[in-house]
Amino acid sequence: MLDRLAGRLQIDLLVNLTLRDLRSKYKRSALGWTWSVLNPLVAVVVYSAVFSVFLRIQPTTGDPSGLRSYAVFLLVTLLPWQFHVTSLTEATRSITANGPLITKIWFPRWVLPTSAVLARFLTLLVEMAVLLVLIAVLAGHFAFAWIPVVLMLMALQLLFTVGLALMVSAANVYFRDVQHFLGVALAPWMFLTPILYPLNMVPEDREFLGIDYRTLYQLNPMVSWAKAYRNALYDLRFPSAERWLAIVVATVVVLAVGFRIFRRLEPRMAEEV
Amino acid sequence: MTSSSSDVAVSLDGLGKKFRLTHDRNWTLKATMLAGHRTRYEEFWALRDLSLEVEHGQTFGIIGGNGSGKSTLLKVLAGILRPDEGAATVDGRLSALLELGAGFHPELTGRENVYLNGAILGFTAREIRRRFDDIVGFAELDRFIDEPVRNYSSGMYVRLGFSVAIHVEPEVLLVDEVLAVGDLTFQKRCLDRFAQLKAEGRTIIVVSHDLDMVGWLCDRTAWIQQGVLQAVGPSSKVIDRFAIGADPTATAFDTGDGGRPAFERLSPHDLVKSVALIDPNGHPTDAVGSGRKISIRVQYDGQAAGEPVTVALGLYRADGTHVASINSGATTRGIARSDRAPDGEATGELVEVDYVVPTLPVQPGTYELSVALHDASMRRVLERHTHILRFEVSPTGIDPQNGLVALGGTWKAR
Repeated sequence: MLDRLAGRLQIDLLVNLTLRDLRSKYKRSALGWTWSVLNPLVAVVVYSAVFSVFLRIQPTTGDPSGLRSYAVFLLVTLLPWQFHVTSLTEATRSITANGPLITKIWFPRWVLPTSAVLARFLTLLVEMAVLLVLIAVLAGHFAFAWIPVVLMLMALQLLFTVGLALMVSAANVYFRDVQHFLGVALAPWMFLTPILYPLNMVPEDREFLGIDYRTLYQLNPMVSWAKAYRNALYDLRFPSAERWLAIVVATVVVLAVGFRIFRRLEPRMAEEV
Repeated sequence: MTSSSSDVAVSLDGLGKKFRLTHDRNWTLKATMLAGHRTRYEEFWALRDLSLEVEHGQTFGIIGGNGSGKSTLLKVLAGILRPDEGAATVDGRLSALLELGAGFHPELTGRENVYLNGAILGFTAREIRRRFDDIVGFAELDRFIDEPVRNYSSGMYVRLGFSVAIHVEPEVLLVDEVLAVGDLTFQKRCLDRFAQLKAEGRTIIVVSHDLDMVGWLCDRTAWIQQGVLQAVGPSSKVIDRFAIGADPTATAFDTGDGGRPAFERLSPHDLVKSVALIDPNGHPTDAVGSGRKISIRVQYDGQAAGEPVTVALGLYRADGTHVASINSGATTRGIARSDRAPDGEATGELVEVDYVVPTLPVQPGTYELSVALHDASMRRVLERHTHILRFEVSPTGIDPQNGLVALGGTWKAR
């Protein structure tokens, strides 16, 4: 029973492809895995300098944690966001880059984008663990009590990202525009998500087509994740029911649509890749 | 063998596969939006209306020229391409050797790649662990298994790929022209392994240009040309038909009057006037029995040549395999128009040279003869006629035999 489930989910293939991505990523580079630490580190330093020091954006005060640090405020959303960006970028090319494999061997193709996301997810796990230790040092040991909530959020984000990855990777086989489009879209998407600034800086008193900016802004599903991550890790507070609902709905919808699109585009991939 | 409801391992039912030939392959979103649903492309059927069955435990060959659709057929069977018409059904666990080591990542070690490739082929980690030593042993890579495969020679690379694929223990194995890899020892072991799989009752489908190998390995063979099934049946028959039918110039060698070969390709200005097979009774013929006596007679214009000539003969099988080359130079030091040559007979200006073969040591099949005239020292070619004569070697005797040469031996049991 368990074996059959493992077979259906292609556990062995997923594990092997994920390991392939992880093992080959920093091969033949002198710094190796240091690069994956350097990346968020540099981002935090630069963003803190520009947004906190130059533009004087004030982080909210963690309620009830009492935390007031722009770096932590930023990191709790930046790390999940960077996961979002890099896994989508890598997943988009996962099928086209494995063309020789696709045209020579049959295996379920969805494992390619999924393993690309999984490989990046393992890095996120490590990053979040380090961040949690930092928060516990600043706010107190009770921060660790939020581990299950954070894990839950991360698991949902993983599924959400897999759904998106299935869409973009399959579409990219037919239209290489997708990978370029993604490169263009991800930067504005970041600025339209409360990562560098708190959500309450988005005006409520201005309207577009009769709807205020804040409501429009929250149509972006990543807002809910940013908010929920910030609740759980910065405020040390349970995210509101509406947030959870928005997150679960977004995940289910994206995953279902992603699989459906992938199924439809899968049969002719070997010809088009 | 698996207990299935039928004996059929692979069945094709009206199979058709078409490809789109877009002139600009890099479709962009914009182009599609603008063109709407009327995207312009040519359709071309790589396979059409293909029906055949392969029984469990059978070794089945697929032959055909380049671009005939053989590899497309294997890809459809492997599930890589989806048929546009009809159906292809495969009963049992399938492994396809379409390209060896296709899933290898150059930066990973051989060991990591074995697990990765195995997983892609449908193995669980436990299954690979159990066979790991066998896989590495078969590929003879024990010392290099922890090296990144980018450091492997191409031979090592394909050996490892072959070894992984062959250890999947498929019930149906698809092989596409992969035996032309590795050194002779490894090729032999691959063939041994195929023979072993065959003995175990597994179904093997082989696509190859190597007609010898197909004839040796396969019980039945299908010949496909331009996506259409031309013939299917016992390998030797299909291969013979293919060897004749695949050569568009074959009709040029058709015999003319009374079985005498016609020489359409010789012009009156050529030195060579005729090339013919002569039977032991001195009559021209176009067929000869394997192991029988035969002469090859070349007539040329000795006066026009104006110097001693060395006659060279080349014997080829219809598939192009070079069987033998001989020239008169070594024994006669140039055949002049006089009767200096022991086996040359001058009749006026025409020099007639016979090459007498007491027992023709080749297997039955279709053969072609090339003739060249050189100067006495073999430094210059005066004239060359490739594949000028085509003839059949017919089976003789009762011993079933196969391969390249007829050994002509006799059996003795004590």
